Parts: sequence; structure tokens; C-alpha cells
Amino acid sequence: MAISTSGARTATTPAIEVQHLTVSYGPRPALLDVSVAIEPGVLVGVIGPNGAGKSTFIKALLGFVKRDVGQIKILGTPAEHAIGRIAYVPQRGAVDWDFPVTVREVVMMGRYGHLRWWQDPGTADRQAVDAALEMVRMSEFADRQIGQLSGGQQQRVFMARALAQGGEVLLLDEPFAGVDASTERALLDVLHSAKGQGRTLVVVHHDLVTAAEYFDKLLLVKQRLFAYGTPAQVLREDLLSEVYEGRLRAFEHLREEAARKAREGAAP
Amino acid sequence: MNAWLEHTFVAPLHQEFFLKALLGGTLVAVVCAVVGCLVILRRMAFLGDALSHIMLAGVAGGYLVMKFFFHEEAHAGGMLVGALIASVLAVAMIGFVSRVSRIKEDTAIGVMYTGLFAAGAVLVTVYSSEIHIDLYHFIMGDVLGVADDDLRASAIASALVLSLVILFFRHFQIASFDPVLAAALGLPVLLIDYALTTCVSLVVVSGISMVGLILVVGLMITPAATAYLLTDRLQRMMWLAAGFAASSVVGGLYLAYAIDSSGGAAIMLFCSLQFLVVLVIAPRYGLLAGWLRRRRMLPQELVEDILGLVLKAGARAVSAGELRDGLGHEPRATLRAVKRLVQDGLLEARAEGYALTEQGTLQARRLQRAHRLWETYLSQVGTPEAELHGQAHKLEHLHEEASVDYIDHILGHPLKDPHGSEIPPDFVDTHSGQPVMVSLLRKDQGGTIVEVKPAAATYTPLKKGERIKLRPRNVAANRWVVERADGSVVELDHAVADGVLVQPDP
Repeated sequence: MAISTSGARTATTPAIEVQHLTVSYGPRPALLDVSVAIEPGVLVGVIGPNGAGKSTFIKALLGFVKRDVGQIKILGTPAEHAIGRIAYVPQRGAVDWDFPVTVREVVMMGRYGHLRWWQDPGTADRQAVDAALEMVRMSEFADRQIGQLSGGQQQRVFMARALAQGGEVLLLDEPFAGVDASTERALLDVLHSAKGQGRTLVVVHHDLVTAAEYFDKLLLVKQRLFAYGTPAQVLREDLLSEVYEGRLRAFEHLREEAARKAREGAAP
Repeated sequence: MNAWLEHTFVAPLHQEFFLKALLGGTLVAVVCAVVGCLVILRRMAFLGDALSHIMLAGVAGGYLVMKFFFHEEAHAGGMLVGALIASVLAVAMIGFVSRVSRIKEDTAIGVMYTGLFAAGAVLVTVYSSEIHIDLYHFIMGDVLGVADDDLRASAIASALVLSLVILFFRHFQIASFDPVLAAALGLPVLLIDYALTTCVSLVVVSGISMVGLILVVGLMITPAATAYLLTDRLQRMMWLAAGFAASSVVGGLYLAYAIDSSGGAAIMLFCSLQFLVVLVIAPRYGLLAGWLRRRRMLPQELVEDILGLVLKAGARAVSAGELRDGLGHEPRATLRAVKRLVQDGLLEARAEGYALTEQGTLQARRLQRAHRLWETYLSQVGTPEAELHGQAHKLEHLHEEASVDYIDHILGHPLKDPHGSEIPPDFVDTHSGQPVMVSLLRKDQGGTIVEVKPAAATYTPLKKGERIKLRPRNVAANRWVVERADGSVVELDHAVADGVLVQPDP
């Protein structure tokens, strides 16, 4: 690439390295010249207003949308060769819940990438599935049809599938949408234990109030990358009011809340 | 009897055309049904129907090409290939139209398939002297007159499709359920989609010679839909669909033989009837099951009224007649509810009538507490005396624990309702084994203090770890009178009593 990369190179290989990423669906790019390096083993929240390109960012990392410009490297490997090292948890609305498939079968789908087309799942695959179900505490529901679960349980099944997939990088699209507070907690615990295993997690999130508390780093995006850093670095008044265009009337309050929660989170 | 059985079931088997139809029909129907499972799960039924119509153009084209260039009359393989090419072209055109214009996919299918069907019909009529396709047979099918060539072509197509589905079951499953994941795993989603469409075209071509182009879509989706009502696993759904398809062919052919009707139509009729029966009797997703489930659900109000009435009777058992006439509910529903309450262990049947079990008493007391608290609340917010009971009777059905506890709290945990009756204590919380606020305890209850909240600590000498016992409440001042271990007494107001948590003695 002729254009030099901004941002200093760190000694360790970034889990995700995005350089000059531009993605478009029409004349207006959904993402414009986004460059960021996400270090391994962190929990990153992607925030920004509706239509800011949060989901597009995730899809670009997955290689699911065409890039106009730019390079993506997953753990040092170009994205197109990194298939299988990334696991993805879809939005709940994207799934047909009446599909005749059980919880265990859904989680087993995460292993399909490890199988040649003539192979049947083996003991190792079954163990990985059981371990993943155990981790999200869904073992007792393994033989239920997926439509018979509550919203939070369904979300956990897809987390388990991503874990069974064994990717070092996990991408989650709005996992907290439409689940109640206690489920949100339970999901967050799963995210943290996945992080504890050394995985890198990128989570699309829409709630600014909880963003500071939940994530190690935040990525503020609205077509362009506005900031990437710790919650304190990102949740700045000037940045947020620019991105949210003053639509964030209760903004002062939100920021204080976020800062307070960050302190509380850091205290113990 | 025996002669009749012989005539109905065995005699047809001596006919070669019947055996051939049985064999060919089952083969095609089973494969149709297996592919149909994927078709209905991906909501492709309309596409399947469209593809079957498009076959006409393909078959006519294949026929003409074979005739003019190779001088082969009615070459089955040529027609099969022609049909395949037509369907792949059609799918590509449908995709193209819905991509480049604002036309949605189902509309694009409608536009394209009628156009191609018309092209086929024009070809067949213009070259009517060259093409010896019986249009009627093409549309209605002729399972009882199936030719050996057709049978062979169908067998090859079916074997190919079935092998594809078995070998790549996982790929079809995941691409149908979650194409994004399939792509993320590096599976060729587009290729899988085309493979599925090709499979659909192949089974449609083989099915048309049996049941005709109108009915073939039914052969594909009806057995699959029937199976879908019975299972929650794709693999089992495919097995069941295959079974239903086979039984439709067998049942339909015997039906056709018995009443001398068109074979294809009889097969589809049998298949549809099968679906209707399963729709009614399916154990989980059937109509009957749904109706039974609703019937088993008792109206909550009725249950609560019954428990209330029996509780009011005290130690005396309440006769069935009293329950039936005393509540103002529909008598049969009341008696059914009473029976269910006995089954559920809330009521017990005695010689003189019905009495509450221990569990039933707790439940009834809980409802009574809700009623009396609501009554107290209503009188405090200024409801006229005469309306109190009626209103509270309606409100007592709002007895969710947290809501009632909140009403109890804002009323200052009253002991008596406006009529002077005792309000039952909050035994749900005090018997839960968890610490409770002193304000929930009644006289003579005691326990060990586990926490004194900072806000309360300034106003009371009580300390963590201390044993206490409640004396009768000072009702005039609404203060809680607490006896300490050394016999001395402290009084707490509501806020402080809320701030002291006690592990109650069992």
C-alpha cells in the first residue's frame, strides 16, 4: 500500500488490524477510511448512532461485505485467509426460531468448519459442544428445540456456538438487544470468561450508559472512526455531541453515569 | 370378506402398470419429500411451483433440439437436460430482476415463470406437428401409464439428488438455517444454494411425469409440511416426510384403482388428507393438542374464588353444591376446576365435601392477604364504604407477590383491614429462609439480627448478631415493640423497622 498506516505498531501482533477500510452500498460510504488496531484479549464495544455502520464494520471483519478500499488482518493473517479464526453471533432477529433444530445441533454447527465434508462429528467435536454449553450454563436445555427457549437463553446458545467454533476472535452483533437486566449480566459473565481464555471480543452495543462499565475499550464509529480507546478517552463530550449531533440531550447525565460506573467497576 | 380383500389389495399387484406406478411413484415421491423439507424451511414453495411450470419450456426445447439435431424422437434424457437448463436460467433471471430493479423476489418469480410457461406453451402449439407431447398428460401427469424411459430417467435423477442430500446434509442444514455462519465458516453458500435449486429442478422433472406439473409442488411440500408438524429435528423430518410420501403413493394408487380415477390426483388427494389428519392430531403442534391445552388451563379468577370460599368456611368442609351455586360462575366449569384443584393437591375431598390441604391453605391465605390489603388501600384512597368489598374482590386477583408487598409497605404493614379482620402475615417472605425486615414480623415471632442498615443504626441500639422477639405492635403510633435478649424493650418506627434485617426462627 502506498499510503502509510497511521498509529504506531506495537510489539505484539494485533488481534484485528484494519487499515483504510471503506465500504459502500451506494454513493455514500457506510464506512470511510477506518483504521484501527485492536490488541488481543480485550473486550471491545462498538458504539455509535443508528445507521452509523456498526454492523457493517462487523460484517466487513467477517468478509461478508465487499471492501472498496482497505485491508483487514486477523491475527496477522489477511481476513480472506483467516476464515475459521473468527466466530460470529448474529442478531436475534436474523434467525428462524421455528427451524427444526435442537440446541445441541445449533452449537454443533460451530464445529462444521473443522469437518471435511465426508466426516461426521467426532468425540472431540462433541466434547467441545458440551464444554461450550456448560460454559453458558445451557447443558440442561441441550435437547430442546430452539424456539422453546427464552430470549436470553437463545442468545446464550449462539454464544455457545461461537465458543464451540473455537475462533480466537468473537464478533457479536447487539447481543444485549431485547434481553432483561439479569440475562444481560449472565451474558456479560460469558463474555468475560471468553476474554479470560485469551479471546478477543468485538461487540456492537447501543447503550451508552452501560458501555463504560461493560467494555475495556470502546470504538466510536459513525461512518468514520471517531475514537478508539478506553471508555474515559472515548466518552468525551465534544466527541459524543459531534457523533450524536446534539440528539443526546441527556448527554451530561449519561457521561457522569458512565464515569461513576467506571469508577465503581474499577474499585473492587 | 377374504374375496373382497383379495380383490381390493392383491389383484392390482398382478397388473404390471400398477406395480410400475407403485415403484416409480414411491421413488419420486420420497425424493420429492426429502428435498421438500428444505424447500419449506427456506420458504421456497412458490419457487418450486414456478420451476414446475417452467419445465414445459425446457422439455419442449429439449425435445425439439434432440429431434432436429439428432433425429431422436421424444428423447427422455434430452428433455430432462432441457428442463434443467430452463430452470437454472429461470433462477438466474429471477435473481437478476430482483437485484437490478425494485421488484421483490416473489413478484419476479411470478413474472418470470408465467412468461416462460407461456413460451413453452407457444413452442408446443407452434410445433404441434413435430412435438408429440400430450399437453394434458404433461399438466395432469400419468402415473399409471409411466413409460420405462421415464422410469429410468427418474431413477437416475432421484438417486443423484438423494446422494447429494445425504452427503451434504450438514451443508444444506447450515446454509438454510444460518447462511451468515455458513459463510463465516468458509462454506460456499452460493454454490450450496444453486445445488439446492438444481435438486429441486431434478425432482420436479421426475415428478412431472408421474403427477403432472400442477401437482408436483404438492408432492414436494405436503409430506414435508406434514412431517414438520410432528418433529423438531431436520433429520427426523426428512425421514417422516419420506414415509408420508410413500404412504401417499401406495394409498393414492389403491384409491385410484378402486374408484378408477386419475392416479396423480388420487395420490395428492390422499397426501392432503393425511396432512389434515396430522394437523388435527399432532401431539404438540396439532389442533387437538392446542385445544386440550387451552381446556386444561383453568380461569385464574375461578380458582381463586373457590379457594377463598373454602377458606372462609374455616374448619368445616364445603359441599360441592355450595361451591357450584355459591360463586356465581358457570356450574360445570366450577366443578371441573374443583376436580383439578384436588388433583393439584390444593383441595382434599372428604365425605362431607371439600377442605383445603396445607398447601391450599397457604395459597388461600396469600389471596386473602391480597384482598384485605387492597381493601385497606382502597379505604385509604377514599373509596366509598359500599364499594370496598366489590372493588377489592376484583383487585385481589392482582396478587403478584412484589406488588402486594409494595401496597403492604406504603400502608405501613397494617395488622387489620377496615372491617377489623386480621390481615394474614407475609408468610411467603418470612418462611423463605432468607433474612426479612423486622417490619414484616408479627407478635411472638423472633430471630437473629443479621444486618442493621446504616440509616437505621443511628436510631436504634440494636446490633448485628443480637437475638430479638416481637411484642404486640403499638398500633396507635404504628411502632414495632422489640424485646431484646436481656428482657429490655425498644420501639422502632416504620423506617427503622425496615432497616433491621432478621433471620427469623423457623
